[in-house]
Amino acid sequence: MFSIGELFDWLTDPENWAGRYGLANLFLEHLTLTLVSLAIAGLLAIPIGIAIGQSGRGESLVIAISSASRAIPTMGLMFALVMLMGVEFRQFAVVLALVSIAIPPVLAGAYAGIKSVPIAIREGARAQGMTTWQQIRHVGLPLSAPSMVGGFKIAYLQVVSTVVLAPLVGLGGLGFGIIQGLALRDFAQLTGSALVIVLLSITGERLLAKVQSKLVRRLIH
Amino acid sequence: MEWAAKNFDFVLQLSVAHLLISLVPLFLGSVFAFALVRLTPARLAGTIGTTFSAIYAIPSLAIFVALPAVIGTSYLGPTNVVIALSVYVAASMFFSTRDAFGQVPKPAVFIARAQGLSPLQLFVHVELPLAIPGLIAGLRVAAASTVSMASIGAIVGVRNLGYLFLDGFQRKIPEEILTGLFAIFLIGIAMDIGLMALGRVLTPWTRRSAQRV
Repeated sequence: MFSIGELFDWLTDPENWAGRYGLANLFLEHLTLTLVSLAIAGLLAIPIGIAIGQSGRGESLVIAISSASRAIPTMGLMFALVMLMGVEFRQFAVVLALVSIAIPPVLAGAYAGIKSVPIAIREGARAQGMTTWQQIRHVGLPLSAPSMVGGFKIAYLQVVSTVVLAPLVGLGGLGFGIIQGLALRDFAQLTGSALVIVLLSITGERLLAKVQSKLVRRLIH
Repeated sequence: MEWAAKNFDFVLQLSVAHLLISLVPLFLGSVFAFALVRLTPARLAGTIGTTFSAIYAIPSLAIFVALPAVIGTSYLGPTNVVIALSVYVAASMFFSTRDAFGQVPKPAVFIARAQGLSPLQLFVHVELPLAIPGLIAGLRVAAASTVSMASIGAIVGVRNLGYLFLDGFQRKIPEEILTGLFAIFLIGIAMDIGLMALGRVLTPWTRRSAQRV
């Protein structure tokens, strides 16, 4: 078996951090895949969420998407897309899978944020002669920002944990150490990689939670 | 479709295993969350909440393989998966259980106390029934994510529907992966419908008043 000392040795050995499959590069790949997918999901889902929240049309669509998405296993979705699009396009397939995992929470966050703006404030903005665009820009967006960040927080967690599975379809990311560690019975590599993944997900979640509470506080003051 | 028809018995066998490895954590995690909400002093609630939201942030595969180092279980096999999924369920049910009981109207509790109900009677006849809609809503969320997360257990050697993803990918059979997706989706929907029905059976008064209005 292995001990905490071995884990520490593995994590502090510079050799495990360098190179194509070193922790530094795998970390960067993990983060890049996550952020690119979140950015694409945001570009697609935020405008749609705002439009639905503002107009009140298509609300049942948001509810249907977010409840159906919970029942679909992210692992299967990723495997199916890589298989159907072809292994040579696996990078696209994985990003497509990650984007479709991220869209439901981001969409729900944007929609719920706009929807939660009190009617009196909305009507007030309109009564002042604001155009629809001005209402969104100066009233809807600032008031719904915390909810939008909340949507991204959920999406971040789901995407980060799905990227862990990417090595199974031939891509990189921090899951590599887990998959290889399992295959080679290298428990120090396995646990060390898991620890770095835990740090990445918890740090990101804390960071987004902090942004969220800061946005809320700014609204109250 | 052909693949699914040819391997129907195998898929059925994996589905039963999948259902079991989802139901056991759902039960254990909910009971644990319930005990934490009802039995721990209120001043600990904040610490427990922070701990659970941190645990909830950890990717499931990382928990599956980190548990042996923490509690000394074996690396492969269902034990880690059951424990990890139970902790996830507890993490999400802690908040929904707390909110479900928090939303019980205070006047209902005061009136019951004034009528001389013992703490146990108060719990069984007033608090629990009024918390049921919130508890069921929480369970539906927990059930859906547990059913889909359980498939990741296949990577650490648990035979469930997740196995179809790994095997189908290695043997290049798209139908096998799609069959797995569809079967997991069906199990998720079935559990959701089951929980909704359970909620309706347990709260007959909501239906009666709805009919009158």
